Amino acid sequence: MNIHVLYGTETGNAEMVADDIVDALSGDVTIESTDMSKFSVADLSTEVFYFIVCSTYGDGELPHSAQPFFEALNSQQPDLSGLQFAVFGLGDSFYETFNRGSEIIAQALIELGAEQVGERGMHDASAGQLPGDIAMPWAKAVLSGL
Amino acid sequence: MSTPTVAIIGSGPSGCYIAQALRREWQDAEITLIERLPVPYGLVRYGVAPDHPGTKAVTRQFERMFEREKIQFLGNVHIGTELPLADLRAAYDIVVVATGLYGDRKLGIPGDALNHIYGAGQITRFLNDHPDEEEFLPSFGTRPIIVGNGNVAVDVLRLLVKKGEEFDGSDLSHEALTHLVSSPIEHIDVVGRSPAALAKFDTVMIKELAKLANVRFEFNDELELESIDDPLAKAKVDALLALAKSGSEPDSIKRSVTFHFGWAPVRVAGIDHVAGLVLKDTQNPHRQQSIPATSIITAIGFEERPELDLCRTDLSRPDSDLPNGFLDDGLYCTGWFRRGPTGTIPDNRADAKHVADNIVQAVKAGSLALGKPGYSAIAKAIQSPTVCYEDWKRIDTAELKNAPVDRARRKFRNKVAMLGAAQSHQAGENNQ
Repeated sequence: MNIHVLYGTETGNAEMVADDIVDALSGDVTIESTDMSKFSVADLSTEVFYFIVCSTYGDGELPHSAQPFFEALNSQQPDLSGLQFAVFGLGDSFYETFNRGSEIIAQALIELGAEQVGERGMHDASAGQLPGDIAMPWAKAVLSGL
Repeated sequence: MSTPTVAIIGSGPSGCYIAQALRREWQDAEITLIERLPVPYGLVRYGVAPDHPGTKAVTRQFERMFEREKIQFLGNVHIGTELPLADLRAAYDIVVVATGLYGDRKLGIPGDALNHIYGAGQITRFLNDHPDEEEFLPSFGTRPIIVGNGNVAVDVLRLLVKKGEEFDGSDLSHEALTHLVSSPIEHIDVVGRSPAALAKFDTVMIKELAKLANVRFEFNDELELESIDDPLAKAKVDALLALAKSGSEPDSIKRSVTFHFGWAPVRVAGIDHVAGLVLKDTQNPHRQQSIPATSIITAIGFEERPELDLCRTDLSRPDSDLPNGFLDDGLYCTGWFRRGPTGTIPDNRADAKHVADNIVQAVKAGSLALGKPGYSAIAKAIQSPTVCYEDWKRIDTAELKNAPVDRARRKFRNKVAMLGAAQSHQAGENNQ
């Protein structure tokens, strides 16, 4: 199976999680990761399973590196029927807008016909755990459920 | 092609991010991150407010960089006094200055040298147990004024009005808390030049203030919403208006805060120490007001301290290319040191990536001579006890272990204690 991890990051934490997911799964599957800001919506493929890793920034906004991808989804309105993805979000439960970024991006994909697989994984910066320690078992569980 | 040896001065977010970016390009290059303190992470440890542990958690990324990506940490080495910059440049192919801006910008008005005027940077260091401020005990009095409308000003405001139990989960020390709760603050005025809609702080910082118990917020002038078109500006003013309605029951309110938007300081009143601040309306300079004060905290930006720190102009030459971080042959800069005191941690990540790209291009283009030996050429010249990453982990472990139940960490408050914890294993090994 072909897997692509797309991450949207502001401080680099989501990028670190994406790297961790790649490390955790690279023994079993073909997997790579890309910053969403460097990924073209036109390259989304039903042949590939996507892990979307996205943080939240400011007052519940998308991180900067996710914004061009999100805007391209909105403006191009591609038909994403048959596309499968799972979402992992990073946030800080200290704020009301906890993990809003990952929700926004997942919602955009679903509205275009894509199917979200499994529960949304979430990391809480205020909880003290390493994001990778939560993301890696989560990614493995998602994969085994496919 | 051989890879360069790289020294980065300053282990704050900018220094860490540029180390990370350069490591992605050069997997085998020797990269040394030099820090004047025995402990890494600069403003993440000493600038981010102690009650924002989620923001401080960015250090997890940097830990990983040290642990998995062979970045060398060289702590307790001050470039300039312990080792001249020229010697460092002679030892490394590339030197990147990422020392930030340490000094608090002054008000620049009559009376700004009176006692009880403090810079927000110093206050933040004090509240974060920075070893430079171990002896510093600010006297806030009953009516401090905060000048500035950025996130730093809001951080200071929040830390000054919070109640003791609201610091649960932070890493605020009992020394800092004891000083805060013993300060008899009754009222704080916050003064900023811009109208509320243009104030620099982020909306989320204002929303956080609304969670505080026992504080009443009010405004000097009425805030106007009708004339604001920009949705972000409107959200900011909405959050401010919501503040005025926040707080618990009136009889339990202990402290009050007044925001003065669109007012600029003219003169500090007082003999010997602060007694008040005279303000003028930025739209109508003839309109002035004088507010009483027992202290002033300036949160109007940061600047170089000539003579004390590395300064950008001293390191520049006529063909320096500051937008790309190029100062001189093999000498680069990033972060606040490069572009001034604006932008948060993510902006410095972008800045570091940009400068790293430029360094990589210069090396690829062959415009930098490579082959300098790196750390081995400076090791003997350093007399002070240095702190490597494993030493820092021992300090870190001890700080986490020493934390009281309601705190995330108990920081060592001076360099002697830090160095003691760093070396503790060696004593143990000798005993065996």
